[in-house]
Amino acid sequence: MKVKKIIAFALLLIVAVSCDHGIAPLPLVKVEPGFSGTIKFLGTWPAGVVQTHVVLFKNPLRDSTDFNVTNIKYISESIPFGVKEYSYSTKSSGAAISNVTPGDYGYLAVAQSKKALSLNRKDWFIVGVFVPNGDSTKAGKFTLPENTFLKNVDIICDFDHPPVQPPGGKAAK
Amino acid sequence: MKKILLLLLILLNGILLAQKGRIIGKVIDENNNPLIGANVVLLGTNWGAATNRRGEFEIKNIKAGVYSLKVSSIGYLDYLKRGLAVKGGATRLLIKLKEKTLEFDPVVVTASKYSQRLSDLPESVSLVDSKILSEKNFTSIDEALRYVPGVYLTEDQISIRGSSGYSRGAGSRVLTAIDGIPIYAGDTGEIIWQLIPINNVQKIEIIKGAGSSIYGSSSMGGVVNVITKKPVKRMITFVKTYVGFYGKPYYDQWDWSKQIRGFNGQAISSSNAFGNFGYSVSLTRDEDLSYRQNDWHKRLGGYLKLNYKLKNFGNLSFIGLAFRQKRGTFNFWKDSRNALVPPDKDEGQVVNSQRYLFAFKYSKQISKMFGLNVISSLLRSAWNDQSESGNNSSSNLYRTELQSVYASGKSLKIISGIELTQGQVKSNIFGNPASFGYGVYSQVEYHFNFPVILTAGARFDDERLDTLKALSAFSPKIGLVYKLKNSISFRANISRGFRAPTLAEAFTSTVTSGLVIKANPQLKPESNYSFEFGMSKRFGRLLELNLALFQNEFKDLIEPQVDVTDGKIFFNNVTRARIQGFELVSKFRYSPLHLSATLGYTYLWARDVNKQRALKYRPRHLAYFSVTFSPSYFNFGVDFRFMSRFEEIDRELIDLGLVKDGELRGKALILDLRAGASLYQFNIPANIYFNVKNALNYNYIQMVGNVAPIRNISVNLEFLF
Repeated sequence: MKVKKIIAFALLLIVAVSCDHGIAPLPLVKVEPGFSGTIKFLGTWPAGVVQTHVVLFKNPLRDSTDFNVTNIKYISESIPFGVKEYSYSTKSSGAAISNVTPGDYGYLAVAQSKKALSLNRKDWFIVGVFVPNGDSTKAGKFTLPENTFLKNVDIICDFDHPPVQPPGGKAAK
Repeated sequence: MKKILLLLLILLNGILLAQKGRIIGKVIDENNNPLIGANVVLLGTNWGAATNRRGEFEIKNIKAGVYSLKVSSIGYLDYLKRGLAVKGGATRLLIKLKEKTLEFDPVVVTASKYSQRLSDLPESVSLVDSKILSEKNFTSIDEALRYVPGVYLTEDQISIRGSSGYSRGAGSRVLTAIDGIPIYAGDTGEIIWQLIPINNVQKIEIIKGAGSSIYGSSSMGGVVNVITKKPVKRMITFVKTYVGFYGKPYYDQWDWSKQIRGFNGQAISSSNAFGNFGYSVSLTRDEDLSYRQNDWHKRLGGYLKLNYKLKNFGNLSFIGLAFRQKRGTFNFWKDSRNALVPPDKDEGQVVNSQRYLFAFKYSKQISKMFGLNVISSLLRSAWNDQSESGNNSSSNLYRTELQSVYASGKSLKIISGIELTQGQVKSNIFGNPASFGYGVYSQVEYHFNFPVILTAGARFDDERLDTLKALSAFSPKIGLVYKLKNSISFRANISRGFRAPTLAEAFTSTVTSGLVIKANPQLKPESNYSFEFGMSKRFGRLLELNLALFQNEFKDLIEPQVDVTDGKIFFNNVTRARIQGFELVSKFRYSPLHLSATLGYTYLWARDVNKQRALKYRPRHLAYFSVTFSPSYFNFGVDFRFMSRFEEIDRELIDLGLVKDGELRGKALILDLRAGASLYQFNIPANIYFNVKNALNYNYIQMVGNVAPIRNISVNLEFLF
């Protein structure tokens, strides 16, 4: 009889601890869309660089005219010269432009300039391009889903192996 | 004159016939139920029979004399009647077999590749009996292993005491075999569970701890060996049919189909042995619509086993297995609100696969002390999917093993062997790599004059995986058993294990579900040192307690990781890891109340030593409780499993936005209920079983973005002719 009581107690205990039904759907919360990540700089920084930014373009850079302020949806704060690694976020209050909404984007990259104030394509050199999920055929493409803040949108800037430059710029020096 | 001679012949024949007798009998259990398929043999002769569905047998044409009659049946104590006089006419017997109260010291064959008493082993071993496979209506062996203390599965990837996390079907740290023949695919190295003919299984043996000193690569976490049934001397035909359905998901928003999602299957098998020949054959069909969208499967399986006893030349066996599957693809959920629905891009994706195993086994007892076994097998695997890359692969894995077993009395046993493997792959994601390897091993088991048993051995492996650097591994083992009394024994075991990378881990290059996976030709083998100290204590025939303390030190653990320089996923030797813990298993059986129970608890402390954090997909607590009540023709059971929350999962998949709400996870509490009845009471040779699995409809994840099966109800009917 004692055995039966122990088993009955164990079964009741099991039912009691299982009452919560485990995981439940998370409520649909409105997440401020955006993204963040880390920029890694490999090699030696080029001398004379005064501006380094993460830049996001809505449309791909097919010619120099696409390098315009209406096509730019995000420009990060200036990345300090000489750093090996830098974390950025569209949430950062220091961003020069931050107008990020869910959708597809044509070009996400890290650009450098030796001039202080310029939006002339020729003044900018691309040092790193975002490669979605490692797929180099889609280099630069970026998608921000609805209700999502994406993390780990990382970009590698290898000064010794710069990426293919979009049209309208100057040759690498 | 001719007429007189003919009359004399008839008379002589009559006298000779009169000197031959027969034995007619019935074999029953303690509740007077007939026992089917019990073997009845007259020792020292070729005369024997097996019982029919009414438990009856008949042995004809027995020469008059005095014999010893032995009756055996699985789960019951052997019956032996000496001095049985057979004269002309019929000798009638009613034999009652006693159920084994608790098989405390059964014979196992996996730990050393020959028969041993469980109490002689220096490592922990768990056994699963075939009876439970029917009672719980398991359709695949991996389902049954979830109910073994210390064992859990992440999706279909097995982990013994935390040995494995989840590597997306590439490789396994637990070697799984059928009758000692490994069944992992030549390309991915994954275990092909569905290839195992579940209706022909006699028992499953699970070795907990590194088995590389005997089995080589892929057994660093343990070995699962499925032993198939032997053909018996009376033809037995088994027919099974089952049908079931998944309940409504607990949350309305998860109810994506608004329909009943069902599953069903049929199996037929036949087995017989006559003269020197025996066979078992079976065909199975399974279909499951699944509780998740695009997670359905349809399977067909075939099994053939032939045994032939060659006079003065040993035993020859053939095993043939075939399996064909078409299934949908469900990698991750869409999000937690659509937890049973895959992302839109995965909808409609299908994987087709075919797997075949052909094996020959030859055994010869050359002398009283020396035996020889040769096992040769081919495992062919082919699959293709409809992903964006159109992945496909086919592989052939050839294995040949030569074993010799030397036994000197009861004190010394030596097993030695050499094993050759060769693999060929043709694939658009792994390339066309080839592999070749060999292993040489030897192990000694010595029983001292005092109650100590020493087991020591080692295996040397050399493997070449296409362009990878040739690798070699030395895997020693030493174990001790000290039997203080009949009821209490201590054991200690230390062994080294290793696992060579699979071709998939080294050479995969594809895009799947948004993940880009790249090859790593620099991959090295992973290795571990496995230590265990254990104790067994029996309390009469009622209760057995088994305690084990264990530690595993892993080096160069192969894990999938993200390459920070290009964002691609690849397999790499990344981790030094340590898994420590203890396990307590108790078995209880009280016959007067027809009650039996099992309780298991495993504590795991699994850490990545380099990063000082928990290893992925390792729960800290695992518990299992089972109780069965079997009065007369019925049986009722309750099974409960608990698994604590995974401390670490694949964060990369969440951070990259591939699995939404992927952080959502919790403990697992699974309650199963079962009831069964024997229909023999109504003269129908059948058993019927009802099962409610996950009766409390508890929602938990097996891996990131994957909800485990929700409540499902099934009934299965098994006929035995």
